[in-house]
Amino acid sequence: MLYLNEQEHTTAKKKHQDMIKLHRVHKEYHPNITALCGIDLHVEPGEFVSIVGQSGTGKTTLAKLLIAEERPTRGRIVIGGWDITDIHASQIPFLRRQIGVVFQDFKLLRQKTVGENIAFALEVAGEPRQRIRDVVPQVVRVVGLHGKEDRYPNQISGGEQQRVVIARALVHRPKVLIADEPTGNLDAITAHEIVDLLRKINDFGTTVVLVTHDKDVVNRLKRRVVTLKNGCIHTDHKVGKYVLA
Amino acid sequence: MKLVRTIVRAFKFALQNFWRNIWLSIATILVFVLTLTMINLLIVVHVLTQTAVQQVEDRIDVSVYFKRGTSEPTILEAREYLLGLSQVRSAQYVSSEEAYTRFTQRHRNDSSIINALSTIESNPFGGSLVIQARAPEDFEFILEALNNPQFGDAIEQKDFEDHERIIARIRSVTDRVQWFALGVGAVFLVIAVLIVFNAIRIAIYTHREEIGIMKLVGASNSFIRLPFLLESLIFSLVSTLIMAAILLPALQVLDPQLSAFFGTASIGLTEYVFSNGFLVFGGQFIVLAALSVLSASVAMSRYLHV
Ligand SMILES: Nc1ncnc2c1ncn2[C@@H]1O[C@H](COP(=O)(O)OP(=O)(O)OP(=O)(O)O)[C@@H](O)[C@H]1O
Ligand SMILES: [Mg+2]
Repeated sequence: MLYLNEQEHTTAKKKHQDMIKLHRVHKEYHPNITALCGIDLHVEPGEFVSIVGQSGTGKTTLAKLLIAEERPTRGRIVIGGWDITDIHASQIPFLRRQIGVVFQDFKLLRQKTVGENIAFALEVAGEPRQRIRDVVPQVVRVVGLHGKEDRYPNQISGGEQQRVVIARALVHRPKVLIADEPTGNLDAITAHEIVDLLRKINDFGTTVVLVTHDKDVVNRLKRRVVTLKNGCIHTDHKVGKYVLA
Repeated sequence: MKLVRTIVRAFKFALQNFWRNIWLSIATILVFVLTLTMINLLIVVHVLTQTAVQQVEDRIDVSVYFKRGTSEPTILEAREYLLGLSQVRSAQYVSSEEAYTRFTQRHRNDSSIINALSTIESNPFGGSLVIQARAPEDFEFILEALNNPQFGDAIEQKDFEDHERIIARIRSVTDRVQWFALGVGAVFLVIAVLIVFNAIRIAIYTHREEIGIMKLVGASNSFIRLPFLLESLIFSLVSTLIMAAILLPALQVLDPQLSAFFGTASIGLTEYVFSNGFLVFGGQFIVLAALSVLSASVAMSRYLHV
């Protein structure tokens, strides 16, 4: 895969402006498994960045580092001015409330309705009932699922399920939304709808990091594309476009 | 406010865990109840032993018979001396006349004995002291004290022994029962700890999706742990309540029979348990809860990864 650049992206920004800042981030799962090798990446608030690359190049690893699911072996990670490199375990929940996550294997609870699945994220964070009652309909409307709150996951389509997952990621009004292969199991049209939803969320001001394999998705987006190769940043283009190699 | 909300929600999750693995919950509670049964058996046997030993001990006395012709003042002096010992609870003087009267009273229907007695001109009985010790172990000391040359020569015979054997027999039986209960109780306790560990491990496994989601949406670690701790508390509480529901009626049936056996108004077991019920069952609950919370914590630290 190749991503042609139309305009070289410059990362020379003032430090305090960065929403996400990775400085020479290395990640080794074992001494001989290097997933990331010295990543330098700066993402501004409100940006929409797609992370692409072949399987096994460390895209998911990168996403996991951003939510402190994994720790970097070396380097520094700063999110919204908060250095999370050595974040204490007790602080991780607060980080997670500021970063919405959509993972491919990050499923819905079958025995809960759409509304309950979304409310769950607020319940477990100890939010008051009244706030849950206010927020859930709002995010349901944002992802275009109103009227389906009382359905169970097996009563809605795959695309709709993914919308519920996105809605759940939005309940804490995160500054950053990280989506790892959110269109993985979806057909092209549904995938585009999901990406449109992500773009809409981005338009509201949320920084979006999208990890994807999908060339159509990247082409349609016309946003910044970072390509990883063997754990390193291969290209970083302001507006990425997929072309056949 | 937020704390209350958190606890209420965690409690809801705990109840869900409980119901979703209901058979495991039942098995856990069963082992808990068996463990408690052993502990309570220990308590009951202990109280019964105390009662039985007390009964025998209260009856133990040593009769010290003085030689005929020993003067009353000498015997009374011996009595004073004995009462001065801290080991002696009481010392009753039985004069030779009294002994004679008692003897004839006891054998009044046996003419041959009465006749034989009447052929003897003088009273064949000497005076005696009936001594009660504070503790059965003290008799040895008391008897030793009586060997004191002042009285030793005047003493005809000392008579006790049998009681000691009775107490020893009671103790050997109850000791064996207590060791048995202790051993079985300890085994059940180990099983209980292991089963809680497993119950929590399985609860974590059944809820791995929820737990994964909770972590990713920013549930605090304590919120993730709380339902499992509460679940182990629910196990302990339900087991203790079941135990109380079994033990209290059982005691009420048993108590009159045991009282009849020991020939006392009441051995006080029921009163003891009823009046100290809070302490008895509260204590058991606390021990059980502490152990199961500990076990659950180990299970969580191994399988929860938070
Ligand atoms: N938990 C782990 N333990 C050991 N090695 C791991 C672990 N997770 C990932 N890796 C390795 O790290 C490398 C990067 O994995 P990662 O999942 O980040 O790739 P990816 O770009 O997301 O791939 P894909 O497109 O297939 O999802 C791979 O070589 C993978 O085998
Ligand atoms: Mg991946």
